[in-house]
Amino acid sequence: MEERNNTTTPAAAKKCCCCSWGPFVAGLAAALALGWWVLPNLMKVEKQQPIAFSHVEHVKKQGMYCEQCHFVRADGTYSGAPSTAECATCHFTVIGHNPEESRFVNEYVRAGREIKDEWLIYQKQPDNVFFSHAIHLSAAKDVKGPEETAKYCSICHIDVASTDVPPVYRENRLSGYSENTMLMWGCERCHAKHMAAGDTAASNACFTCHK
Amino acid sequence: MDRRGFLKFAAGGTAGLVASPIIWNTLYDAVYWTQNWGWIPRLKKGAGEYLPAVSKICPSGTGFLVRTVAGTPVRTIGDRNNPVTHGSITSLAASEAELRVSPSRIKKPLLRSADGAYNAIAWAEAEKLLKAKAAAAGKSVAAISGDPTSCTNEVLSAILRAKGSKDFYFMPDEEQPALAAWTSMGGRGRLGYDIENSDCILAAAPVLESWGVVAGNRAAFNRHHPVGAPSTQKLIYAGPVQNNTAAGADLWLPIKPGTETILMLGIAHLLIKAGRNAADFEHGYTPANFKEFADLAAEYTPEKVCAATGVPAQRLEAAAAMLLDAKAPLAIAGSELGSGGGAAPVMAALSINMLLGRIGSKGGVVCLPDHANVVKGAMKYSEIMARPLVSYTQDVASGKKPAPAFLFIHAANPVYALPSDSGMKQTMQKAGFTVAVASFFSETCAEADLVLPATLGMEAFDDVQTPYGSGRITYAFARPVVKPFGEARPAGELYIALAQELDVQLGVKDMPDLLYQHAFALGTPFRQMMEKGTVFTADSAAPLPKMKFNVRSLKAALSAALPGDAPVLAPVVVLGLGTAATSVPPFAAKTVTDYQICGKYSVAQMNGATAASLGVRDGDGLRLTAENGATAEVIVSIFEGVMPSSISLVAGLGHTAFDEFSRGKGTSVVSLTGITREPGTNLPVWGTAGLKAARA
Repeated sequence: MEERNNTTTPAAAKKCCCCSWGPFVAGLAAALALGWWVLPNLMKVEKQQPIAFSHVEHVKKQGMYCEQCHFVRADGTYSGAPSTAECATCHFTVIGHNPEESRFVNEYVRAGREIKDEWLIYQKQPDNVFFSHAIHLSAAKDVKGPEETAKYCSICHIDVASTDVPPVYRENRLSGYSENTMLMWGCERCHAKHMAAGDTAASNACFTCHK
Repeated sequence: MDRRGFLKFAAGGTAGLVASPIIWNTLYDAVYWTQNWGWIPRLKKGAGEYLPAVSKICPSGTGFLVRTVAGTPVRTIGDRNNPVTHGSITSLAASEAELRVSPSRIKKPLLRSADGAYNAIAWAEAEKLLKAKAAAAGKSVAAISGDPTSCTNEVLSAILRAKGSKDFYFMPDEEQPALAAWTSMGGRGRLGYDIENSDCILAAAPVLESWGVVAGNRAAFNRHHPVGAPSTQKLIYAGPVQNNTAAGADLWLPIKPGTETILMLGIAHLLIKAGRNAADFEHGYTPANFKEFADLAAEYTPEKVCAATGVPAQRLEAAAAMLLDAKAPLAIAGSELGSGGGAAPVMAALSINMLLGRIGSKGGVVCLPDHANVVKGAMKYSEIMARPLVSYTQDVASGKKPAPAFLFIHAANPVYALPSDSGMKQTMQKAGFTVAVASFFSETCAEADLVLPATLGMEAFDDVQTPYGSGRITYAFARPVVKPFGEARPAGELYIALAQELDVQLGVKDMPDLLYQHAFALGTPFRQMMEKGTVFTADSAAPLPKMKFNVRSLKAALSAALPGDAPVLAPVVVLGLGTAATSVPPFAAKTVTDYQICGKYSVAQMNGATAASLGVRDGDGLRLTAENGATAEVIVSIFEGVMPSSISLVAGLGHTAFDEFSRGKGTSVVSLTGITREPGTNLPVWGTAGLKAARA
């Protein structure tokens, strides 16, 4: 039988060590790049809102309050984004110099097109989630003014109050939901915290949110 | 790269992917993706409203709130502000939002072709055809209405009268025999019952399930039976099956089917023995034939009543004692099936009310005025009520009367709801042209030449005039609070347009005008009713009639043969199973129990003794053969809440039309019954039948 030669020189041993980790490191680096950057971007498609709406213009310059457009109705339901008719209470005609406003008046108000049907909701939840804005806003009785309100709403929503143009909407190609959609752990963490503090009776039981 | 290098690269890649969020994020995305499956119900988002409306498919025109989200009705709930229902709602009215989009809802006008298939046609073509056929028919026109509370009857009857026909009929209901009894005893106007203010009710009718103003009856029952406090009203129920009314009653008198008159006379006998007589009358009149009635009642001793009805003498005496102790007792009689009942049980119940001095008293029998007509040439309500539909259809079927050249069937399903020997199907086959105006594709629609889709109460203007069983005058508008489904159109508007095409002068231009004239006649604010959906109520000021006992008719009715020991059909009506015109609402399908239907077979409930005599056990198959030759295969269920020798079947099953939820499920109770004539009044009656049973 041929005798096996297990002896190596130190130089050969050093070369072998680099060679042996090289493929692993290359695979690790490629996968990390793929997992952190390439695939997440490939999975998402970027979309723009139908109108470049400026919260800065409306809130900071015109002094509007959040509740003028986003309000809880008398029946407890939440209005969400305003409709064309609600926007048209001010924008029934062009009142500024912004070309986007002019486009809104011409393409939506005058054409009778509903902006609400086209507006992209960053944190739309599936229908199996029962979420009440009315309940969650009842905890914000002491919140005053647009800045405090924006801060309070930003606990769950992305902060749009300080934006001059709407953030890019990134939609997942597989699920069709926005990348900003709040996941269940986000709800649970807050509910657990307030349950522990005794602020709420809404536990993390399934039926609290899923009817 | 060698094999070892590749494996190392793969290991590094795996470690890299595990250290990146892509796997977990993809899992999350997959979870969200599952919410996109098409069969998951989608929520309607938008402003919600609660709009007062009325049900036109519920027989008593139940008022309710329609909850809408962004204009779409999502459910119906009781209306606490409704002065009739006080927040109660019937199981049928509770399912109306779902029924609105039922698979059997008719979406477009349908015309039957030569091969029997139905083809959708445009409304313009349908209206042209309607006008041509109605005009060509001359005076040979007839109409059947299944909605006696609606003012559209005035329009239809005015069209018929203008053409020279009197053949306008209501579908058989509880009021027709009751009105016959009432008028034969001297009553005027309509018969009403002040259930709300009575403190003891003897009911030979399912008052908590299907008789009268069900939601109002239940609301009164709830108010008089508060939780944790003594009740202020006693309910005595007489019926063959321990149904929902029996379950709520303070005293249940289990009787053999068809023996209500005997039971009532037995109680009348005990009341007379206790000193109740004509001298008790509050209103100062004495029927001349009290002695004659007392002699008749004296024949019905507790022992004799027990032998005939099966009610033990002690229970009969307990019932009489409860009536005697009450300050405002009231006796009610009707039929378990809701139609086909006789006048004799009502006469006997009215006799008890007379003995107790309850005619025209608070919490007693009320004299209500006839429905007011505002349409020129419309037929009087009580006149229509006095003409039984079955007499007409039997005459047409047998050739005694000519078949109509044009037959209108409005909101009714007589082909299913009437016994097979009623001649209804033959009448439709003989008629020159038949038009069914309906919301759901029923057995009657399947026999009609032209089927027109009608709106529901929440989709169009209509009204609910005082339904039978009410103790007050009530008037409510049906208002369009949601869009009509498909191409459905309001029946009232269709008839008014037809009248205008035929040059019939109605004196009204459209439905809102018709409703306005009714509101004006009653002196109630139209705008408030129209905008807010308020309901008008008023106590009747009709003059008190001079009543007399109808001993002759009672004697004649009592001469009919009593049910022997052979099994007798005992139908049970549950509004949750819908009516003949609606069939089983999809919403209520989950409330149908294994004691009502098992697979495609109806369940026949009977007590242990009956099952033993038939040699069957719980779960066995049983073949029932009715006197009219009809057969049905059913599943046996042992229930000791059914009288011996009675076989209880739930009504509302056994449809051959409608949708997958109703078609081919169970047995139609009516198909097992046959029509006989009530001795004394000659009214057509059905609802119970002798059955032959054999193991299947």
